Amino acid sequence: MHRSRARSLFVVSSLVAVAVAALIVALPRPARAFGDVGAFDPRVLLVGGVSGAARASAPARWSWELVQRTSAPGRLKPTQVRADDPSVVDAPFLFLSGENALASFTPQEISGLRKFFALGGILLVDDAGVSDDGAPSAFGRSAREQIARVLPDTSPIALGPDHVVFKTFYLLRRAEGRVAGPKTLEAIVRGGQVQVLFSSHDIGGALARGATGAWENPVVPGGDVQRERAIRLAVNIAMYTLCSNYKDDQVHAPFLMRRRALPVAP
Amino acid sequence: MHERLAVNGDLPVWAVALACALALVSLGVLLVFELRRRERGGPTIVLTGLLAVAALLAAVARPVRIAARESVIGAKVIVLSDLSRSMALPQTGKAPRAEVRDAAVAEIAKKAKEARLHVMGFGDGAPVPLSTKSTTADETPSQEARDSSAPRSDLTSALRALGASAEERPQAIVVVSDGRLDDPGEDATKEQLQALGRDLKVPIHTVATTVASPADASVRRVSAAGAAVAHVPLPLKVDVGCAGGLSCDELTVTARELREDGAPALLATGLAHLKDGKGTVDLAVTLDRAGARILEISITPPSGDTIPENDRRLLTFNVARERVRVLHVAGRPTSDVRALRQWLKSDASVDVVAFFILRTQSDTPNARQEDLSLIPFPVDELFTEHLPSFDAVVLQDFDAQPYGLERHLPQLARYVKAGGGLIMVGGQNSFVAGGYANTPLAEVLPVTLDGSAGATAADVANVVPAWTDDGRAAPLLSPLHDVVGEELPQMPGSNVLGDVRPGGLVLWAHPSRTTKSGAPMPILAIGDQGDGRSIALGLDGAWELEFSQLGARTSGRGYGALWDGLLGWLMRDPRFEPGQLELVSPCVADTPTKLRVRLPSATAQKDMTVEVRRLDRQDVPPIHVDVPKRSAGSSSAVEISLPALAAGGYTARLKLGAGPTTRRDFACESGGDEWADSRPDRERLRALASATGGSFHDATDDLTLPLPKPAVVSAERHVVPLAPSWAWSLAAAVALGVHWFARRRSGLS
Repeated sequence: MHRSRARSLFVVSSLVAVAVAALIVALPRPARAFGDVGAFDPRVLLVGGVSGAARASAPARWSWELVQRTSAPGRLKPTQVRADDPSVVDAPFLFLSGENALASFTPQEISGLRKFFALGGILLVDDAGVSDDGAPSAFGRSAREQIARVLPDTSPIALGPDHVVFKTFYLLRRAEGRVAGPKTLEAIVRGGQVQVLFSSHDIGGALARGATGAWENPVVPGGDVQRERAIRLAVNIAMYTLCSNYKDDQVHAPFLMRRRALPVAP
Repeated sequence: MHERLAVNGDLPVWAVALACALALVSLGVLLVFELRRRERGGPTIVLTGLLAVAALLAAVARPVRIAARESVIGAKVIVLSDLSRSMALPQTGKAPRAEVRDAAVAEIAKKAKEARLHVMGFGDGAPVPLSTKSTTADETPSQEARDSSAPRSDLTSALRALGASAEERPQAIVVVSDGRLDDPGEDATKEQLQALGRDLKVPIHTVATTVASPADASVRRVSAAGAAVAHVPLPLKVDVGCAGGLSCDELTVTARELREDGAPALLATGLAHLKDGKGTVDLAVTLDRAGARILEISITPPSGDTIPENDRRLLTFNVARERVRVLHVAGRPTSDVRALRQWLKSDASVDVVAFFILRTQSDTPNARQEDLSLIPFPVDELFTEHLPSFDAVVLQDFDAQPYGLERHLPQLARYVKAGGGLIMVGGQNSFVAGGYANTPLAEVLPVTLDGSAGATAADVANVVPAWTDDGRAAPLLSPLHDVVGEELPQMPGSNVLGDVRPGGLVLWAHPSRTTKSGAPMPILAIGDQGDGRSIALGLDGAWELEFSQLGARTSGRGYGALWDGLLGWLMRDPRFEPGQLELVSPCVADTPTKLRVRLPSATAQKDMTVEVRRLDRQDVPPIHVDVPKRSAGSSSAVEISLPALAAGGYTARLKLGAGPTTRRDFACESGGDEWADSRPDRERLRALASATGGSFHDATDDLTLPLPKPAVVSAERHVVPLAPSWAWSLAAAVALGVHWFARRRSGLS
């Protein structure tokens, strides 16, 4: 009796295993991603003496948050590129952050960045040295001066909460980072597209997380709640890079207007 | 030679008349007074007096003898014979109008022997001679006269052409017609009719071939308010009529679109209420596909209708596209999705409705729903109710299974076959990986998909697609080729696609990978699917035409050039067609017709065939006509003859080699506008004759027309005096002297 039960159990288990194996084999083998080439890559821009992201862990963390929260793919090992390198035009997004004043861009760096912008690329300039009360650092001031040399025909304008970057994934009422800073982002808009975003909020500072999992920087004055909103802003910027002004389409407008009327969770 | 006497030409007419009058008075006096007298010699006095008066008259007139060779030239009369298709209308139990017309022309010729008749045919434009010499009753009508094939009966243009001609002006015009004229129209005023004869300053006589209307119900006229634009309701006004004693109070009018992929699609139906044999109904039709579309407007005729050919009209509407309406669905946001969206939005003529899946079930946004800008993906609404409103659907890296698209794949396949456009763009969720193999949608892709267990969905190795010969020659890729030449950027992998389907074309292929049949694996393929078209682009790296070294060198123009061609080809933009087809002249049923084929020079030596298929009868086998190859340097256009086609809607497809086709839809009608209203119009002919000073006759009447008299023309003329002037004067003097002597002898003074 015991032996026959064991035999039956064995047979049933074998059948289940075979069935599962067959199911696995029968399913079309999922295509592995076509590399990470089309994914969001917060490529760190090396220019004006900057040798890396001000918050070293921020770019990877940014991709990680994007992948966790959305359907967008992200490079979990972001790349970095020099402005004067021909490969600066190989992807549509660049991330420039720092605390110290930038050195004057060389002609080659200016030329490289102009080619990048001519193709429609987007640059986020994130002031990691911004003071807790939002005053820009030497980096923030010098970055504006140097970008003005690259794009002399335009000036930054304020982007308020009605701009699509505040609704590409999350509905946000203001910009926030490690510091609260101004409610708006500033941007250089060309051909109806945002091409340079200036953040006086140290978004990277809110994202940066050490290998142990601890956040590297306190967020002032709002703490973790503000940090969550900063991460959401980073996700929105990534989505803006990948979807452009998709959320401005008319078909979405009625939904967004209704949602905007609702209170937003702190 | 013809001889006669006449007075001398130097005498004015009044002098001759006065002389004759005086002579008559003198003769009267002589006869009345002198003969009464009883004196001796009265008769002698009268006789000598008569002689003297005659001699005096002769001395004044000095008669001459005129010898002349004369010709009688008949007045030039042009007979305008109506060659329009309405003359070919059949008439039950009676001779067709064309036969009556020809008999009338022959009868006129027989009766007008003194006139120089020139018989011409009129229809559309200037009249054409049917005979270059006077027509006699013995001549049979020419083939031109027998063929009543002109698409219009425009008498006004014919008369204007005669007025503008440098040839001898006619002295009268005779019009032989059934009166159903396009110009002058039914509502032409008397002044307008008078104006027709004003230029030529001649009377216009008219002969009506037909008296009674046939028993006929018909679609008389279809007019559209404005141009046809895809997706925009087009108002149609349909005039119907009954005549010839046919009783109809109401007629049901139906509008259908003839399609290649199945039964005609009902667009609208209405009921026309008739009064005095006429009625009108307003219909609104919406055509979803741009290009030449064939509409059938038909009535349900009452019993007793003798001309079924005009119970329906087949009309070609050239449907414009105000904007191309594209549904862009993406499975996840990537740089490739960004590039396509930005290109679509940058084109003002493209109207994009986009849905991107921004969050899957496994994602954790860490937020309440109201904190998210996400909306539900309205898959059911999009792929049922709204699907026909799109000109093209782009599925980009989109998996059919998780989002409920699977159940709509049959509808999407029907949409393509009915004329829609589909582009499937690659990615990790496309083609085999997206679960499309062995689905109805796979049947409308230009490539096969491997749906076997364990099939490989993608090749993740970097790849630079290779141009095929067809890709280099394809007009839709020529904008890209102009920008990048043969160079393409390295792409991050490709979807695994199968062999190209019949009728498809591979434009890019994998440089090393092959299909099961051993052919290079397609990366970019296009194909016709019924009425529609589809494209398979097995890459998600096309955005690198923008963001790459190649993109920087070409200012990123390659990406837009690629999609210009892809979407343009999908929409049948003539710039991207391998050739163009057009009818040389409108197609008339049962009459051979010609198609003009325009080809780019690169196709000069390709095997080419035109296939003509019925739209409204799928059981009728298609006709194939080979297009002759052109020699180098010859014209880019070739005309081919099609056999006589029955009345109906047709699609002609130009096949170059094995690839997709260029198509042209057209309609063949038996009578067209000319048969729409079969009623003759004697009154219009009568009014025309009356307004221009001519006469009206029925063909059955005596056709002795009041034509101008012939003119006499002298070719040779000799004038010889009967006697010199002095002889006439001497004779008059002698005669007067004798008369005086006679009077003196009789004792008279």
